[in-house]
Formats: sequence, C-alpha cells, structure tokens
Amino acid sequence: MTTTTPTTEDEKAAFLAKLKAYEGRTYGPPMRGPDPVNQAMIRHWVEAIGDENPVYVDPDAAARSVHGGIVAPPVSLQAWVMRGFRPAASATSDVQDEIMSLLNGAGFTSVVATNCEQEYFKELHVGTHLSTTTTVESISEEKATGLGVGHFLTTLVRYTDEHDDLVATMRFRILKFKPGTGRSATQAKTDAEPATRPPRPRPAVTQDNAFFFEGAQQHKLLIQRCSSCGRLRHPPGPACPSCRSYDWDTVEASGKATVYSFVVNHYPQVPSFDYPLAVGLFELEEGTRLVANFVGVEPDAIEVGMPVQVEFVEHDAELTLPAFRPVQVTA
Amino acid sequence: MTEINGLKDSAAIAGIGATEFSKSSGRSEMRLACEAVQAAIADAGLQPSQIDGMVTFSADTNPEIEIARNLGIGELSFFSRIHHGGGAACGTIQQAVLAVNSGVADYVVCYRAFNERSGRRFGTGVQDRPPSPTAEMAHFSWYSPFGLLTPAQWVAMFARRYMHEYGATSEDFGAIAVADRKHAATNPSAWFYEQPITLEDHQSSRWIVEPLHLLDCCQESDGAQAMVVTTPERARDLAQPTVIVNNAAQGAGVDQDMMTSYYRPSITGLPEMGLIARQLWNTTGLGPDDIQTAVIYDHFTPLALPQLEEFGFCARGEAKDFIKDGAIEIGGRLPINTHGGQLGEAYIHGMNGIAEGVRQVRGTSVNQVPGVEHALVTAGTMVPTSALVLGVDR
Amino acid sequence: MTFNATGLRYDDVDVGDELPPLDLPLTRSLIVATAIASRDYQDVHHDPGLAQERGSKDIFMNILSTNGFVGRFVTDWAGPDAVLKKVSIRLGAPNYPGDTMRMTGSVTKKADGLVEVAVRGANGLGDHVSGTVTLELPRD
Ligand SMILES: [Zn+2]
Repeated sequence: MTTTTPTTEDEKAAFLAKLKAYEGRTYGPPMRGPDPVNQAMIRHWVEAIGDENPVYVDPDAAARSVHGGIVAPPVSLQAWVMRGFRPAASATSDVQDEIMSLLNGAGFTSVVATNCEQEYFKELHVGTHLSTTTTVESISEEKATGLGVGHFLTTLVRYTDEHDDLVATMRFRILKFKPGTGRSATQAKTDAEPATRPPRPRPAVTQDNAFFFEGAQQHKLLIQRCSSCGRLRHPPGPACPSCRSYDWDTVEASGKATVYSFVVNHYPQVPSFDYPLAVGLFELEEGTRLVANFVGVEPDAIEVGMPVQVEFVEHDAELTLPAFRPVQVTA
Repeated sequence: MTEINGLKDSAAIAGIGATEFSKSSGRSEMRLACEAVQAAIADAGLQPSQIDGMVTFSADTNPEIEIARNLGIGELSFFSRIHHGGGAACGTIQQAVLAVNSGVADYVVCYRAFNERSGRRFGTGVQDRPPSPTAEMAHFSWYSPFGLLTPAQWVAMFARRYMHEYGATSEDFGAIAVADRKHAATNPSAWFYEQPITLEDHQSSRWIVEPLHLLDCCQESDGAQAMVVTTPERARDLAQPTVIVNNAAQGAGVDQDMMTSYYRPSITGLPEMGLIARQLWNTTGLGPDDIQTAVIYDHFTPLALPQLEEFGFCARGEAKDFIKDGAIEIGGRLPINTHGGQLGEAYIHGMNGIAEGVRQVRGTSVNQVPGVEHALVTAGTMVPTSALVLGVDR
Repeated sequence: MTFNATGLRYDDVDVGDELPPLDLPLTRSLIVATAIASRDYQDVHHDPGLAQERGSKDIFMNILSTNGFVGRFVTDWAGPDAVLKKVSIRLGAPNYPGDTMRMTGSVTKKADGLVEVAVRGANGLGDHVSGTVTLELPRD
C-alpha cells in the first residue's frame, strides 16, 4: 500500500470529505450471534469475572428477583455476537475495510479504543437471540492527541432480538492515529507510555542469594557472613574464600555507605526504567560493596565519596530493592 | 602458579583471512565463518584437508564440525572453545599453540564469525535474559534489577573510579578514540575508512552512559576473522613469511567477575591482565621496551589505559600521560591499533586485532610501523582474558 | 468483598455514597479466562509472544472483560434487584498481568428511580477505566 499523507489544508479537506462520506453507512447486512443467550455461556462468563450475583445462575433466586428468571449480565452484551476462534472470511464488512484502508493508507496505522457506551432496553433473558447492525455514526476531523494525530471513528451498534425488538445499543469509539506523532517524548511517556512499562528485570534467585532479596522485601539490607571465620562477603556464594566453610548466616547492615563509583545511563533506554538513570557502586560501612540505585538526588549532584543511607523501594509486589539517599553531613 | 613454560617461540601464525567488515553482511553467520576460515587456509597456502584442529569462542554460533563439513576439511583431531566473550581471542591461539606443540594437531584454525550488528547486538545488554537459577544468571541479579544492563554500563563504573583516583579525564579516553580513528582512516578494510575524528568530535558526541560518550564505545559489526596456527617448522614451508607466536597466555584474577569485578580492594587495575603480562614477559624474556606496536583491546576506551599500565609501558595511573601528544599514533612511541581498532576497523571480538599483529610482523600493514620485531595483542578486558606476543622469525 | 445478597433499594442510596472498593489482582489466568469466556480469541489477550510482537509488553485485558468488571463492581454493591440501564466507559492504561486494579465508585445522581454511579478502575500505570453506570433500583 502506498502511503500518501495529506499535508496541505486542501489535501486534508479532501481526505476528510472522503472519510465523511462514510458517515451513516452500515457495515453490511445484520450479523446474527451464533447462539441464543444460554446458561452454559453465562456460567463461563460469571465464573471468569467472579460475579456472584445469583440471578445469573440460580433459577430460584432469579425467579424471586425483579428479573423474573435467569438473565445474562447486561455487560456481557458483546459476547453473544463475537465471531469466535475461527471467524468466517466474510466476517468483516466492505465498508469497514474501506475506511480502515483509507486511514492506514494515509499513515493513521495505529488503533486504540477510547470509549464504549452501552444502553440496555431489554434484559438478556435465556433464549434471547441477538443480531447486530453497525452504522458509522461519525468520523472526526484530524485531532492532535497525546498518542498522536488521528481521527476518531464512532460506530453505533444496534442489538435486536429474534422479534426485531431493540435490546441494546453500543456506541464504540476508536482513535486511528499516526504512531510517533504524539506530544514530546517526555510528555508521551507520562500520558501514554506508562501503559507499556514492564516491571524491572527479575533477579535470578538461587539458594545462595535468596536471603538478600527476601531481606530486601522486609526492608533489611543483609550481608552474608561466614559462620566459621566471620568474614563478610558480597556477592554471596556457597563457600567462604578465607576458610572454605559452607556454614554461613547473615548480618543486617547499618545501611550507612559511601558512593564508591557511579554511572548515569542514557542509552539504551529500557522501558522498565526512567532515564537518565543513575546507578551506584556503594561501599557499606561494614566493608562490602554492592550496586544499587539512588533516591533523592539528581544525577548531576552525585559525587564519589558522598555519604549515603539505605532506603527500600517497592518496585512492585514481588520486587523490593535497596536504594541509597545522600545524607547531610553536619560539620 | 608457573609463570615459566616451554611454549616460547613454539608456534607460528601461518595464515590469516577475513570477510569484509560491515553493518549488515546479508549472509548467515555460518557463511561468514566458512569464508574467513577458507581465506585463512588459502593465505597459508594449505588445502582444507590439511586442517586437523579448530578453535573458537563458546560465544560463537558456528560449530567447527559444520565448517569442516562445508569446506571439506574432513577429520578433526582437536577442537576446543573458550568462554568469556572477547576475553577468548588470544586464548584460541594459546589452545592452538598447545595443540601443535603436543602433537595432537598439525594445523589448527582459530575463528570468530558473527552478525553482531544486523543480528543479535551485544550492546543492548542482558535485560531479556530469563532469570534461571544458575550461577551465570545469578551474577546478573546484582546488576539487571538496578538497570545496569549493558557492557558500556558495566565498564563505565570502572572508568568513573579510575578518573576519581588518577585524575584521568574524558579527554584522556578521547585520545584512544582519536588514535583509533586516525588509523582506521587510512585502512580501506576499516568501517570508518577516511573518517577520522577530532577530540572535539569525541567530546560533543552524545552520552551513552556517563562518563562514556558514544565515541568511547566500539562499533557493532558483522564479519568474520580466522587464522591458521602451526609449528614454526611447518610454517616455514608455507606461503607467507613466518610469524612466530612468542607466547600466548590466559588469566583470571582473584575475585574475578564477568565484567563486574567491583568487589576487589581496588577496581582501577586489571589484575587478570597483570597476570598475563607476568606470564608473557617471564616466558619470552621480553618486556615493554621490546614491543614496537600493540593492539590494545578497545571495546571501550577507558580500559585501554590500565592495560598499558599492567604491561608496564607506564606506571599505574600514568597512562593518561603516556598516551599524550600522539605517543600511541603512527610515529609515536607505541602506535596502537594500527588497523583502527574495534572503534575504527570493526568489532570482531578482538580476532581482527590478532590479524593486524600478524600483518605488522609480516610488514604488510596499511599503517606499517617501521622495524617491528614484536607486537603485543590483548583480548577483552574486565573478563577472564588473554594476550599474546608475536615476533619475526629469526 | 462479597456480593450484597440483600440488595439496595432506591431509598437506601444517597448522592455521595461510596461503593466498597474492589481490589482485583490481575493474574495472567484471569486475563486469559475472561477473554475466552467472552469469546474474544485475539492473541493479544492470551499469547505473550504475539502480544509483544504487536508492540505490547505483555497480554492485556480485553474491553468486554473491563465492562464485565464494571458491571460486577456495581451489582456487588447494589444487589440482585438492580437493573443496569447504561454503562459508559472511557478506556486508559492497559491491565497487564501482575498488576492490581483497584475499583472505586460513588453515587453522583439520583432521580426517578435511577441512580448514577461514577466508577474508576486504576492500576499501577494509571486509570484503566473511568465512567458512569446508570442503574434502576426497586422503590418503596
Ligand atoms: Zn570463613
């Protein structure tokens, strides 16, 4: 496909006119759900969602309720017309394809759903057999958004039952946008990027080092100590280099340390971290060194020899790590 | 530990061969390996069927048996692989020296081939390695969760401390980059042929990880390099001038880590390289004054300085003064990396540096240093590593 | 939290009432199970490798399930005789495995037997969902 991005005002107007021509058009003939509303699928849904409302599964409770019998959760509306695991080739409409290829061809290749409004007019009783008709309600002019410049496409889906009665409507809005055209990189990070932040790399935990990470989880900075000769060692290992003993315990460090060396990472930028990222090599007052991050100091203000104190940062439910904060030295 | 051994002058490098060095070879790593090995065999004036030993890096993806099959090498009586990334380079030659001396093989090919730029890039670091509970992965537990993920970042920690203790500056590191790129500029095989840089270029290049600028970091390259090792007696009957391996040595220091030996009493030296220097000088009877040119491993410029100190070219902490005023450029006291180094020619895990050492001893380098009798070549730093001294045949 | 089996009546509710918060641990199993239970077989909701190929850091919850949890959150509070009339949501940060979504809500309007609840579901990255749910509660 050739990409011809409309740039001049005239080109944009012509492109918008092409898009606007689709407003009011319908995505092909009505589509009928494969099965009527049924107890088995309701059960799958409420089990997965953890919904304990008895009116979905308990015939007696449902009969006593205002619903008068088993109903499906109204919010399961879309599930009854989903195309399933192996959709037929005819499952997409020409109109939909045309709009998408028009937008893709102009560089609006990324998509994100932004809004979903469902309104319910009849309940989803067991036996209700839904069909849908989808109409293009509106296609917006070009908008600058946090994610990038793009067009909002709003469709209105009408859900009717086997008697052609209107059961529900759903207004669904997506943004088709040009990747990489969002606000400045920093702003995009705070607006959209947090969504893609993966957790920090996990430590490889072995019988020899687990104590350190378990200690950190409890906000303790532990150093491995030879039970035989008392030598402290980090990184930990199974045996003592001084006396070859395999017996060891741990001591909790005071957390007082100095900056032995440090770096400030700029590139590559791994999504788990904020950059510039300062990483220090800290010498504990007990004598061992370890690598960790800083807190409470800008990278420019870090100096070798600076006194610091340990704190603990809970990065996620499973990962708490030591980090060091500069301390004020009073003369 | 013995620092005397019987391997002095006991082997020779009889042939060298390489592919072009690029950013996108367009060929498989296996094909690059075959091309370089075939070229090295041809350079020596040998037939593939005469090769009976092969050595590479454990990091290499090209098994010796595949190369042997593709090139019709036939039977192999010796094969070996060396661990620890770029530290393996001269170690592969040492393996070959041991093999041809003990008689387990007559002609051994050492090789390294990769698409390190167009394929898996080492510079991206280790963030994607699964945290399996092995010692090698547990090692990364002390770095990866804190965002210390790449070789440049691991090395920068040493560089900062070195600057702090000895007063070295970013400009001092820049002198290495400027020398490398000056030599690459006159080497048609170098990626940065005809593209010298100034110290200002170095200083204004973007930060990769403070205190390292972009121009402190070696390239990422696609390519392959191979050489043939045999005994001096056999080498003398072959096609090229005989280049003697005066000796090769490996070293792992006390409290050695892979790229992060941060826990030693001092972290501004390279004790593993010091161990290698002691072995090489003691076994060959040579010393720094006997070396006319050197290939100093330069994945990152700062660690070139302590290497010069460990080999005794200058005192500890004084490399920043030793390298001043063009001392390490052509015409200076010790021209280094006359092929352009890994910053200028290509990053082939140090193997292209051995080939340059061979050319300097043969007298065929594009940046030939006059009167070369011995050339020093070193391998990767901050890892268990290796080095060798090459010399003219007497 | 547990389902309010007794259920609320229209007169029980005042504007400003807060719904009991719901902390939903977003396990991988939950994200996959709810996607499949809603017949949504798009790979980004169950296959981490393919999700990453498509530029997502991991699989993420599908929109049908988000609607499902919004509905459950409100009826957990309102009980069996509530009838949902309208659910209007705005979508934000994805729900990835390993995170927790905390759902909070409060009553914002009350008129003619209908109650409007403002609902918010926030995960570690920000708001996953925000919107309003309109429901009918039994009177007298
Ligand atoms: Zn001990």
